[in-house]
Amino acid sequence: MNLTKKLQRSIQKNLTMEDALPTKMPVYVNSLAYMFGVTTLSALVLLVVTGMILAIFGPDWYHVSRAGRFFNSLHFWSAQAFFGSMLLHMATKFLLGAWRDGRWKTWMIGVLTFGIAIFSGFTGYLSASNWSSQWHAVQAKDAMNAMGIGAFFVTTNFSQTLTLHVAFLPFLVIILVVIHLAFIRHESPVKPYPSKGK
Amino acid sequence: MRMSKTSDENLRGVPTKPYDLIREGLIVVGFLAVVVVVLAILFRPPDYPPVRGEDVATRQPIAYLATCVDILAGNSGLQDYGPPYNADTTNSMKVLGIAPISWFGVRQELDPSKDFVLAPLARVAVMNKEVAGALKTWNAASDDSKAAWTKAYADALDKATVKDGAVQMAAGQYGPVPVMMNGMLDLGKAGLLEGALMSNERQPYTLDNSRALLFFQEDVDASVADTQDMKGEQWGITHEVGNRPGPWWLWPYAIWYQIPVFAKNPNADLIVGLMMLALFLILFFMPFIPILNRLPRWIGFYRIVWRDWYARQEGSGGKSKK
Repeated sequence: MNLTKKLQRSIQKNLTMEDALPTKMPVYVNSLAYMFGVTTLSALVLLVVTGMILAIFGPDWYHVSRAGRFFNSLHFWSAQAFFGSMLLHMATKFLLGAWRDGRWKTWMIGVLTFGIAIFSGFTGYLSASNWSSQWHAVQAKDAMNAMGIGAFFVTTNFSQTLTLHVAFLPFLVIILVVIHLAFIRHESPVKPYPSKGK
Repeated sequence: MRMSKTSDENLRGVPTKPYDLIREGLIVVGFLAVVVVVLAILFRPPDYPPVRGEDVATRQPIAYLATCVDILAGNSGLQDYGPPYNADTTNSMKVLGIAPISWFGVRQELDPSKDFVLAPLARVAVMNKEVAGALKTWNAASDDSKAAWTKAYADALDKATVKDGAVQMAAGQYGPVPVMMNGMLDLGKAGLLEGALMSNERQPYTLDNSRALLFFQEDVDASVADTQDMKGEQWGITHEVGNRPGPWWLWPYAIWYQIPVFAKNPNADLIVGLMMLALFLILFFMPFIPILNRLPRWIGFYRIVWRDWYARQEGSGGKSKK
């Protein structure tokens, strides 16, 4: 059995070029409600780009440099846009019952991404190395410890929260977003509910 | 171009319209980048400096000494916190007898009076013979004497004043405690408290700053948080210093701490944590939960989003062409 050939065939069958890079959309995709997924993805791109710049110069950069402070501000507002868009995306997908017709996997991966993104954002606040980080770290440790998570996720350990924030959690988010997008494109946008009486 | 079999089946009989994914993506990223740049210039997030031993020792020496003597006396909230710091599970949060906090045992061993006061003082003692003598007296004393000294000192500290930066307090039976506390105060004023707390065999790669953060976690941090409206009952985590925007998306979590029945419960963190876990699982399994998975149909918001589709269907008598 050639695993590479098997993967090739699976991709050719389940995610064609038209699925991955669509040039047509069903006519019912015709509302601003469909924009929030794209804005979430765009905000994620901005988060990654600004985060990479902050990572290059190190965690102290934004405390001591005007440029660093500006990029930290860009990263902050990208995070605001990301969570704002993601919540609107989730709310509209809920209100459209977007899990119908076998799309439950797409929904579940999306919710999981949301959950991990919360932790990703939270570790960002803990990694800001300022008063907010200090206060949230000592406060949140009680919640983490109470749930048993504190045994592994130590909110007061800056090096752990920083590495989780710049490496592990964004990697997970990006992988899940890619899978989420692959499912969306493989299945196509959910059809409208049948008209009343049908 | 060909779509996957699933997409083909899902879209059978549905008319399509031209679409340019790359163009749409670039427009949205570009637009959002402009918005973010404008917001980043106009509203920079605050960068309020952390609470440091040097600042507290210099500006609030009584609060600094109160913290030190409290910890030395074993009155710190961390002294009998339980896992992950120590083994005493008496105060551990539990719900229906379940205490996840104790599942993984002691993973960050901490004895506050020893690690936060006596160990740093042992370093001060290397440079200060008076402190070395006071530590010797302390270590040789009975528990009752230690308790009497620290209580007398803490009580006197309540009535102490600060004159020209020096703490003035009434004479009393404090044993070696004043010398020890002055040693801690000097350590703080010299800016060496955090270094002494974090010092371990992994130096100079001391990567875990937990002890330096935990030292002031009670009264000192709480009083600063209070002035910034950042305490739990002030919607703590959902906003930044001075009510600037923060992680507002955590309001479904923070809201429970605004309700006295939860906020005042000694097991609040565990109760709220379990409720949030339950809410997350409900959201996760929404497609399979009867009634809840029908809510979108009943709410009817979809009629606004797909109004053109329904109008089109009515116009064509319910039929659609590819």
